[in-house]
Amino acid sequence: MKNVLISLRRTPYQTLSAFLVLFFSLFLSVALFVSLSFLYGILGYIETRPQVTVYFQTKTSEADIFKTRDELNQSGKVLSIKYISKDEAFEIYKNLNKNNPLLLEMVSADILPPSLEIFAKKPIYLPEIAEYLKKQPSVDEVQFQKDIVDRLLTLTSILRKVTLVFFTFLILMSVVVLTTTTMFKIALKKDEIELLRLLGATNFYIRKPFIFESIFLGFSASVLSFSILAGLLFYISPFLSSYLRGTPALSLNLDFYQLAVWPLNPIFLGVTLALSLLFGMGIAAIASFFATQKYLRESI
Amino acid sequence: MIKFDEVTKRFALGNTAVEKVSFTIDDNEFVFLVGPSGAGKTTILKLILREYLPTSGSILINDLDISSKNFHDTVMLRRSIGVVFQDFKILPDKDVFENVALSLNVVGTQRLEVKKQVKNALELVSLSKKEHVFPAQLSAGELQRVAIARAIIGDRTLLLADEPTGNLDPKTSWEIMKIFKKLEGKRTIIVATHNTDIVNSMQKRVLVMKDGLLAKDNRKGGYEL
Repeated sequence: MKNVLISLRRTPYQTLSAFLVLFFSLFLSVALFVSLSFLYGILGYIETRPQVTVYFQTKTSEADIFKTRDELNQSGKVLSIKYISKDEAFEIYKNLNKNNPLLLEMVSADILPPSLEIFAKKPIYLPEIAEYLKKQPSVDEVQFQKDIVDRLLTLTSILRKVTLVFFTFLILMSVVVLTTTTMFKIALKKDEIELLRLLGATNFYIRKPFIFESIFLGFSASVLSFSILAGLLFYISPFLSSYLRGTPALSLNLDFYQLAVWPLNPIFLGVTLALSLLFGMGIAAIASFFATQKYLRESI
Repeated sequence: MIKFDEVTKRFALGNTAVEKVSFTIDDNEFVFLVGPSGAGKTTILKLILREYLPTSGSILINDLDISSKNFHDTVMLRRSIGVVFQDFKILPDKDVFENVALSLNVVGTQRLEVKKQVKNALELVSLSKKEHVFPAQLSAGELQRVAIARAIIGDRTLLLADEPTGNLDPKTSWEIMKIFKKLEGKRTIIVATHNTDIVNSMQKRVLVMKDGLLAKDNRKGGYEL
């Protein structure tokens, strides 16, 4: 550790440039990860709301409605379907207008349409389900959150692509800058490396200080970028709370784990820090490995 | 044991550094390698250290053919050799202790053991009081002693010294040779030099190089330019 710090201090400009590149790369990467997590969380939340509501004509029999429900269930694209009968619809109406007796007097269960509230397995199935329902003769009206879901889907898709492009670019840029910096440091220590080889040092022994130095830079840049981002998140959390009022919680549905994103919690922050450290220290180690490998291959 | 058998080294541009050189050096033997500049002394040391590979012929060290391209244990070979380089190769950003300790650090010696052995080596070369002094503050003779301390420390059984008295005054040169004398019989020592006074006084085996050829192998010592 002492040697790492001494070496960093002896090459302040290279250290600063490598640190800044790593810091910006990591900050952007972590910010993109958090944004994507929030967007997926919101998407996941919307998926839990009734996505398609289909109103049948008042004269439609329950048998016809159940037939449509069964056909939808068999399609494999539907997560669940809730049937709202005329009576249940009237109960809901009464609850909504309990303070307005005039409205209650004017409406009876007979004039309210029965309906189905449909939850799709994936948002991309929604237009298909809506189209199918519109073609049914007994259907009066189909409502679904097409616009919101479409916009969210487009946004997540764009952000995912942007993230992929950014990640690739940032990784390449960081690796190139770190490799160049390490190679410059190797050039400065050429005599020392030559001596070490003549004394019987292994390649690993020669490579170790450069790799440790890069990992230290990666670690520092990761911690700093995470700290700034976490600070920003806590700063804007009151605004987010107000914007997301009524939304109980957002979570990222991974295949093996449900990661709670909002409200901010230690696990989500921990995962973000871990990814930042893994990314930062990983690319730093890879870059210095490439640089030393190139030099050691070219020397005796 | 070191065995050179018809060893020739030619460089890419065609100049021949050594040609058909053959000799054998026994374990713990003290040998002077002498000859004028450009005679091939340094090339022989570099061939032993495997910094160069011979163009033809073979070099055996303890029955291992280190001249073969299939020899893959250069690291272990070099760990058994201590070298006093012509240009010292003392690292300017490390103090005396750190420079000497390098020899042990590369083989993974424990820190406490390093401390103990470095102190002993510095005592042997009379530099105990300059442990934490940086090279810029040392004289040429002191730098040479640091290089010797680095070369003799640890379990290095072969000591190669390339012009160890090259730029030193006669008094300091003798002090350096006294250090080599202390090590005599404990390890194989090969000293490349063109200092006739020292070679003649020490009365050790002398390999005389001339124009890349082994001109003489004088086992009783003595040499004239």
